[in-house]
Formats: sequence, structure tokens, C-alpha cells
Amino acid sequence: MKNFTYFRPTSLEAAVALLDATYGATELLAGGTDLLDLQKEYVAQPDKVVSLSGLGADFRKITVGTGTPPTVEIGAGATLADIADHKDLRELFPGLTTAAAEIGGPQIRNMGTLGGNLCQRNRCWYFRDEGVSCLLKGGRKCYATDGDNRYHAVFTSGHKCVIVNPSTLAPVLIALKAEAEVFGPKGKRTLPLDKFFRAPESAEHREHVLAANEIVTKVTLKAGPRNGSYEVRHKQSYDWPLVQAAVAFDLEGGTARNVRVVLGHVAPTPHIAEAAAKALEGKRVTEETAVAAGKAATEGARPLSGNAYKVKLIEVAVKRAALLAAGAKPYWT
Amino acid sequence: MAEIKWPQQRRVIGTKVPRVDGPDKATGLARYGFDINRRGMLHAMILRSSVPHGRLKTVDVSAAEKHPGFRGIYYFKRQGQEVFYVGDEILAIAADTEEHCQDCLRLVRIEYEPLPFVVTEEAALKDPGKGTVPNPGQGNVRPSGQRTVGNVEDAFGKADAVVEGTYSVPVQSHCCLEPHGMVAEWQGNNLTVWCSTQATTGIAGMLEGQFRNRVPDVKCRCITHYMGGGYGSKFIPGPTGIACSELAFMTKAPVKLFLDRYEEQISAGNRPSATATVKIAGTKDGKITAFQADIYGTPGGGAGAGAVDAYHQLVPYVYTSIPNIRTTNRTIRLNTGDRQAFRAPGHPQACFLTESAVDDLANKLGLDPLEVRRANLPTDPPNAFKKPIYEKQLEIVAEMCDWKKRWHPPGQGPSKGPLKHGIGLGLHTWGGGGRPNNDVRVTIKSNGSVLVQCSTQDLGTGERTVLAIVVAEVLGLNVKDVTSEIGESQFGRSTGSGGSTTCPGTAPAALIAAHRARDDLFDKLAPRLGVKKDDLKIDPAKPGKIVAGDKEWTWKEACARLGMDTVVGVGDHPGDQSLSSQGVGGVQVCECWVDTETGVVYLKNFWAVQDCGLVINKLACESQVAGGIIMGIHYAMFEERLMDDNTGRPLNADMEFYKLAGMKDIPEIHVHMMDMPERGVIGIGEPPTISTAAAIGNAICNALGVRVPRTPFSPMNVLAALAQKGGA
Ligand SMILES: Cc1cc2nc3c(=O)[nH]c(=O)nc-3n(C[C@H](O)[C@H](O)[C@H](O)COP(=O)(O)OP(=O)(O)OC[C@H]3O[C@@H](n4cnc5c(N)ncnc54)[C@H](O)[C@@H]3O)c2cc1C
Ligand code: SF4
Repeated sequence: MKNFTYFRPTSLEAAVALLDATYGATELLAGGTDLLDLQKEYVAQPDKVVSLSGLGADFRKITVGTGTPPTVEIGAGATLADIADHKDLRELFPGLTTAAAEIGGPQIRNMGTLGGNLCQRNRCWYFRDEGVSCLLKGGRKCYATDGDNRYHAVFTSGHKCVIVNPSTLAPVLIALKAEAEVFGPKGKRTLPLDKFFRAPESAEHREHVLAANEIVTKVTLKAGPRNGSYEVRHKQSYDWPLVQAAVAFDLEGGTARNVRVVLGHVAPTPHIAEAAAKALEGKRVTEETAVAAGKAATEGARPLSGNAYKVKLIEVAVKRAALLAAGAKPYWT
Repeated sequence: MAEIKWPQQRRVIGTKVPRVDGPDKATGLARYGFDINRRGMLHAMILRSSVPHGRLKTVDVSAAEKHPGFRGIYYFKRQGQEVFYVGDEILAIAADTEEHCQDCLRLVRIEYEPLPFVVTEEAALKDPGKGTVPNPGQGNVRPSGQRTVGNVEDAFGKADAVVEGTYSVPVQSHCCLEPHGMVAEWQGNNLTVWCSTQATTGIAGMLEGQFRNRVPDVKCRCITHYMGGGYGSKFIPGPTGIACSELAFMTKAPVKLFLDRYEEQISAGNRPSATATVKIAGTKDGKITAFQADIYGTPGGGAGAGAVDAYHQLVPYVYTSIPNIRTTNRTIRLNTGDRQAFRAPGHPQACFLTESAVDDLANKLGLDPLEVRRANLPTDPPNAFKKPIYEKQLEIVAEMCDWKKRWHPPGQGPSKGPLKHGIGLGLHTWGGGGRPNNDVRVTIKSNGSVLVQCSTQDLGTGERTVLAIVVAEVLGLNVKDVTSEIGESQFGRSTGSGGSTTCPGTAPAALIAAHRARDDLFDKLAPRLGVKKDDLKIDPAKPGKIVAGDKEWTWKEACARLGMDTVVGVGDHPGDQSLSSQGVGGVQVCECWVDTETGVVYLKNFWAVQDCGLVINKLACESQVAGGIIMGIHYAMFEERLMDDNTGRPLNADMEFYKLAGMKDIPEIHVHMMDMPERGVIGIGEPPTISTAAAIGNAICNALGVRVPRTPFSPMNVLAALAQKGGA
């Protein structure tokens, strides 16, 4: 790990003042479950690390409003365990709490935070290898497109870098139309999560659109929609999903309205599957309509040389997430 | 002296004894090599090649040497020499702190002249003559053995069924919980190393050899009180140990050098891959008549890699009586890390290749695969003795798992939605005999204390407890009354813990040492107790007592009479088969559910029957079998070393994408130990991991009605097999 100076400001303003406007020399530190790894691997080599641990309790707070349905605010400093174990969240957003509960192991969930989860870097094995200089590290080519891409994107059209966005909270939050509050040099701004992520193409980019001196402070979402998330994993614990699907919809008279289907681990950003949403819109969620949604979700998939198997997994994950959201008894256990 | 035998009536031996050092390990009191810190100790690290093949054009250490923390440098390679894989050792640096050491390494400037490389077997097979490894003239693909018995062609022509298939297991990296390394400290001519090793005396001897020309009366002491697994990869000092002890010599300071996880994955050894195209034939009654296999695998390619394990000799594995056999072996040399012995070298691969084919033949013949195994057990010497053992084991395991009820023709079992039920089995074998040159010393003092010492090491198998059990048995004591000291080379001779030989090597030695200590004790006590020596007895029915006719003394009372005297008994393994023997069988059955939509495999149950001769500690044996199965589950379900063709670099040299099972991936494991005291002690370090992968593969095939021909059994590989079949 390269030497760095450590700061622990106690206000957002002070934190922002410590950060550069562009990425490279400064990094925010939340739980450190991602940043520390990147530093140990010399992939991130900041001179200055600005810890968020000195911010007040609000930064970590989970607030369930009093309205019906309630609005929920989750502080960016809330840990994954806080989210997974929160009684109200479990009831209102089972898709979100399931996704949180399936992340890594207890150690990761106890340290990792919501803000860090949304801003974490991708897991591409070329990116994580200091010895490989790919597009995202200032190099001239992507090594995954003609390399081993079994875990990479299947929605690849128009993408020079074919990572998958690693966050499994993001697809659920996007399906639930959540918004992030971001604090920067010009104060607060609100950013819907479906506008939060980007497909990075160079060393100047992150997997999201924030500037290096912007801080996620909280995520807000409204209860109401039925929601579910399903992940296909090789290992049953401590593993990344191969494919994830999050589905949310309002249930009106037995039919699904305002359907959102968002896929994880299939594209450089969480992938909004509009065709799948359309396939369910105005329908009863049954095994039959769920299958149709799954099929529709693969529309536009252009797998790489080694990951066509993920396309089949998309169908299954969407089907199962839709049924979970509808409250059906899992047919697969 | 009368011949010493294992007691007919056993009070402690064969019972379930918790390990004597369990609490120390669980609470962190146990100190491993890495836990050792010496005054003024330096930290060393190795600089490794970052290219898969190249010549060192420049090795410039000037900036590193100017770093204030820099203390010394050791060169593995010099300018002009070749490096053969990403991870090949170039030099090691010692510095005052770990952080400074890392900084120093990064200040070394290396320029390589890039040379051609090949890092995957697929690429090597496309250009077999390419030579990118030592002895380039021989190409990257080299024939390495063949064997013919009878006439396979003839047999294929006459058979009722012939099946051909290609089966494959990838390279498995050694993943010892404790990394390779040591702390080395010189005092005059004496070198002390705290080393994570499977051979304390071997390490001491080899390090003395390393320095003898410079320090003629060098004496090395190796301490390994605890170590976190070796599995065959920790017999020699290796580059790590050499660099560490050399840097300590050079800097005149203690030095610690342990590898990190990345280095472990790329350079600390691996199990070679194996791929075989197998053609197998049989008759309606389930007799296998011919077995043909063309096999290849890779042991790496660096200077240390020999040929792959002799698969051509090892298949058709336990079915040695198949009348017609033809096998060929090819070694694929790659620009990757070298093989090291790995828990039952060659066997898991040979077992997987054979047992998959045998199962496919049984399926084609429409026969119960368990019956096909029964019909083909070895009948020829030297393996015929295993036939009745396997017969018994098959009987036991069939009853344990209710095979008749659970087994069904492939693809025709129960379903739960997309989940399909499967059950499958595999057989394995191993040697595991005892060897001489294992000195055990038992010391009894007047305070009643009993100490048993041996320089042998505990790889995590419970060796301390083994020695205490045997001594307690002979002396009529409880395990807690005996203190075991192991893991220090100066305690005498011991053989390396390899080939499942430690318990069968040391337990007989302990038995003899304990008998001699008892004799010495009786010699010394008889006059002081006023009885005839021959009247003194230790009666199993009266533990903790010494008796003579109708007189008796507690152990402590009797020992108190020793006064200033000390009782000593020393023993070694007798070198014959009177107290230990070799050759075990084992059967494992796996039950799983496979999700045909996702390709995810859920393991439900494992049943294992294992013999190991005389069981010394039933609890440790059962746990050894369970541990072997868990390691086999990692192998079958998750492990695969991945290399990148384009860059020549490892892709998953970490614990993230080099996957190992987690808690939720482990099924219920049911172990039955077959106690065969008449055979003496046989080791079981290796056997219980061998047939696990084969049993899982066969269970999956039984569930799906289609063979998943390669491990790991990931959704990707399972779905690929299902797609071949035409979807599920
Ligand atoms: C084995 C393993 C398995 C995992 N599996 C999953 C999984 O299945 N799904 C999943 O989603 N994740 C998974 N993770 C990743 C884990 O969720 C993240 O590491 C964690 O959420 C990061 O949070 P942190 O607080 O530790 O972030 P840090 O490591 O502290 O920071 C990560 C990045 O986010 C930035 N950052 C942190 N907080 C903020 C903020 N408030 N505003 C702006 N930028 C910020 C940091 O500067 C840094 O670049 C896994 C990780 C491991 C090691
Ligand atoms: S996918 Fe992206 S991060 Fe990975 S090698 Fe290609 S450019 Fe680099």
C-alpha cells in the first residue's frame, strides 16, 4: 500500500474541501471493504484518504417516515448489516434486504456501507490486476473482450469496457425508484438512482457520475411497490452473483402496474429491462407471465465469447424475482 | 524382550478423544511460525517475475538499496537469466519493517526481454512443438508414458456396450490456511528456524546442507509446534526458506519471510490438471472388459516441474483386474507455477477419470452402478486383499444411505420443480504405511509426570493426541495425564508427514517406547516396592494403578518411589508390518439436487466408509474423513486456476474468484470408520479426499441424465452440459 495522509473530518463541508474535483489523488473511505483492497493491490494509490467515520449519527441513520405508504431514508453510512436486519425495511422492501443479506459474509456486511456499495469499483480481474493496464487504468484496450470474460457483461452494445456493475443493492433501489442525495462543493443535489451510474470508459471515469468531491449522503425511497430480488450464485455464501434480477410493481386489483425490472451483473451499469417490464405491465404475475418477462429481459443481449450462459440465467432470475415480488411460494426449493 | 503387539483389549485406543491441543488452537494460544517475533527481526519479501516468460535485461536495485529500511538482498536470478512464469522468483529483500520491505521491492527496476509463452493447455495443444519452458527443444507437449495390457481393440469388438467420453479436472492451487514461510535466526553456528513444514528434521538437514560449505559445523534446529496445513507442499525449505535463512545469515539478524495469499496461489504449488478421452467396454453382466485412456495434464513448466502424475499407471484406478488396458500420458508444460505433491498425488484425478467412465458404462448397460463396482473389484495380487474390504464397505455404505431406495436410473429420479435428485458413488485406495526412523521417547518422573516426545509435526491431524493416546493406553493412564511434545527437530529422527505415514510411523514407535518405559519403570520400582519385577502389572481394569498380586499403588504413589531417578523408554517403528501395514479402500456416496434452470448444484448428503486398520482416535479419524470430503467438495464444485492466454497472467490468484466452498455449500457428512485392528495402524491423511469429486460428478449425472464432463460443477459448466443434451 502506498503511503497516504489520513483525514477524519466531522462535517460534510470539511470533507468536500479536502477532496480534489477529479479522481486520482484523493479517496473517500467508508467501511473500507473495497477501498483498502484496491490500495493493497496498488490499483488505487491515493495520497489523501478522507474518512467518513467522523460524520454524525445522521449519516448512518435509517428513518421510516410516518406517511402511508411511508417514505424511507437510509443514510449512506448505514451498514449492509443495518439494512439487512432492519425490521421495517424487511417488511417494506424484502427485495432490498434480501440483496443486502446476501452480500459477502458477516464481516463485509458489518463494515460495508450503502454509500460504499453504490460507489464501489468493478471486480473485473484485469482491472484488479496491477500488472494489466486496461482502458480504465489509462491503457489502450479492454482485455476482457478477447480474454476470459465469463463474469463480464452480456449487454455489450456500445460499450468499450465490458465490466458489470457490482452493486446488488443498486438494481433493487432503481426498481424502487430510489433517489440519492449528494453533497458537493455547491451543496446538495438529488440524483435519481437510475441516473446515478455510468458505463466507464477511461481512467477519469468511475462506475457512477459523481465528481471526486461529491459525497452520497442518503438514499430515499417510497414504500408501496411489491418487490423482489433473485440472484444466481455459484457458491451459496461469500460469492458474487452471476446474474441478479430485481422486480418491483404496484399491485392493483391483482395486476401489476408500473413494473420495473432491473438486472445486475449483466451490464456496465444496472440494466433496466424495459421489454421485461412491458411484458408484465397490466398482467397478473403468474409463472406464465413471469416466464414471458424473463424471455423479454434478454432482448438486446450480446454476450461475449465466454458468457452466453448468463443469458439463460437472466430468464430464470427475472422469472423468480417477479414471482418473489408477487409473494408466490418459490417453486425452486 | 517379547514381541510388542497392540493390546487386544483397548481402553483408550479407538475411543473418541478430543485433540489435546484443540483449545489452544481455538483460543489462539497456539503459536504458528507466523506468530513468532524476535528482537530486532527483519521482514523479507520476494520480488517475482511480472512476465510469463522473459530474459532479465536489467535488474537495477540501486534505488532500493538507498531506502533507509533496506537491510539485505538475496538473488534467485541474475541479469541475463530467464524467468518462466508470472511469479517466478527473482530476488528477495530484507528490511526493517514489512512496509519498508514492500517499498524496497517496488524500487527495484526490472527490464525484461519478452519471450514467447503459453499458459493454457488449449493453447499448448494448438502448437505442441512450441518451446517456451526449460528444454525448449522438447516442445510444450511431451509424451510421458504409456501402458498396454491385453488387447483393447479385440475387447471393444466383442463387448455388449462401449462408451467413449472426455473427462477433465483443472489445475488446483494449494490453499493451505497458513502460508509458506519461516522465521530464521542465527546464533553463532546455530540456525533456528520456526517453519511451517511437514518435515522438521528434513528442513533442518536441508538447511544445514545449504550452509555447510560456509559454516562447517552448522547446526540447524527446526521448530514447528503448530502449522496450518501443508498437503504435500511443505517438505522443503523452497525458495522461501532459502531466501529467509540466507538473508538472516547475511544481515546477522532474525528474518521473517511468509508468502501472502497471491504468492501462495501463483507459486506455492498445485495439483496438475487431467483430461482424458476414455473408451470403456463391458458385458451385460457388468464386467468391464476394456479400458483405454489418452490422458494429458499440466504440472506447470518452471524449473521445478517434472512430468504430470503418472496417470497412465494410476488408471483404471481401483479396477486393476480389467483384462485389457491401454493408456497414454502427455505432459503439457506451461509458463505457470509448478506442481507440488498434493494430498494423494495423482489419485483424485485418476479416480475422477476412471469412476466417471465406469458410471457412464453402467448407465449404458442399464445397470446399478454400485453393482457394477462390485462386479469389478480387484482379484489380482497385490490388490486382491482389498476385494473383501470393498465388498464390506459397499454393503455398509449401501445400508447407510439406503442406496436401493435412493438410487434411480439417470435422469429418472424425484423432482422438486426444476430441482432433480441425484446420487452417485466413487471408490478409492491409498497406501499409508508406517516407516522406521521415527524416534519416540517417553519420560516418567517421580512426580508421576509422563512426557512423550517426537520431532514429528502435526499438520492439523491430531498427532499430539495420537502419541498421548498410545502412551496412556500402555501405562494405564488417561490422555490428560500424558504431555506430548512434538515439532522440534532436536527430539530425534522423524520422517516427513507425507503419504499418510505419520500415524502409522509414530504410533508403533510410541507403543514400543511406552512398553520400554514401563519395563524400565518396573525395573526401578520392583526393589523399592519390595516385589518381584515380573509381578508388577498395569491392569486395564484398574486405570491409574500399578498392581502386584493383591497389592496396588496409585500411579503417583508408585512413581514417587523413583526419587531422583527418571524413567526413559525410546522406540522406533520396527520396520516390519507387525504394528502397521498399508493399503486402504474407501467408498463415498454423494446425494445432491441440481437446479436444471440455473445449473446450481446443491449437495445434500455424503456418506463415507473408510478403513485405516487399527483406529487410534476415532474422533480424529472421523474428522479427517469429513475434512477430506470438504476438500474434495472444493475441488469438484469450485476450484480452478485460471490463466489469461493474452497476458500470460493469473486471473484468479485470490480468494474471490479462486472459489472455495463456504458454510452453506457443505452438506451433511456421515462417516463410518471400519476398524480392522488385526492390520495394525494405517494412515488416512490422504484417502478420504480422493473419490469425493468422482462421487459428486456421478450424482450430478444421475440427477440430470447427462454427464457434466468437467469440474468445477459451476452453473456455467452444468448449463453447457444440459445444452448439449438439448435443454432440460
Ligand atoms: C467477497 C465479497 C463479496 C461481495 N459481494 C457483494 C455482492 O454480492 N453485492 C454487492 O453489492 N457487493 C458485494 N461486495 C462488495 C461490498 O458490498 C462493498 O465492498 C461494500 O459495500 C463497500 O462499502 P464500504 O463502505 O466498505 O466502501 P469503501 O471501501 O469504504 O468505499 C468504496 C468506494 O466508494 C467510495 N465511497 C464510499 N462511501 C461513499 C460516499 N458516501 N459517497 C461517495 N463515495 C463513497 C469510496 O471512495 C470508494 O471508492 C462484496 C465484497 C466482497 C469482498
Ligand atoms: S472490462 Fe473494463 S475494466 Fe475490464 S479489462 Fe475491459 S476495460 Fe478494463
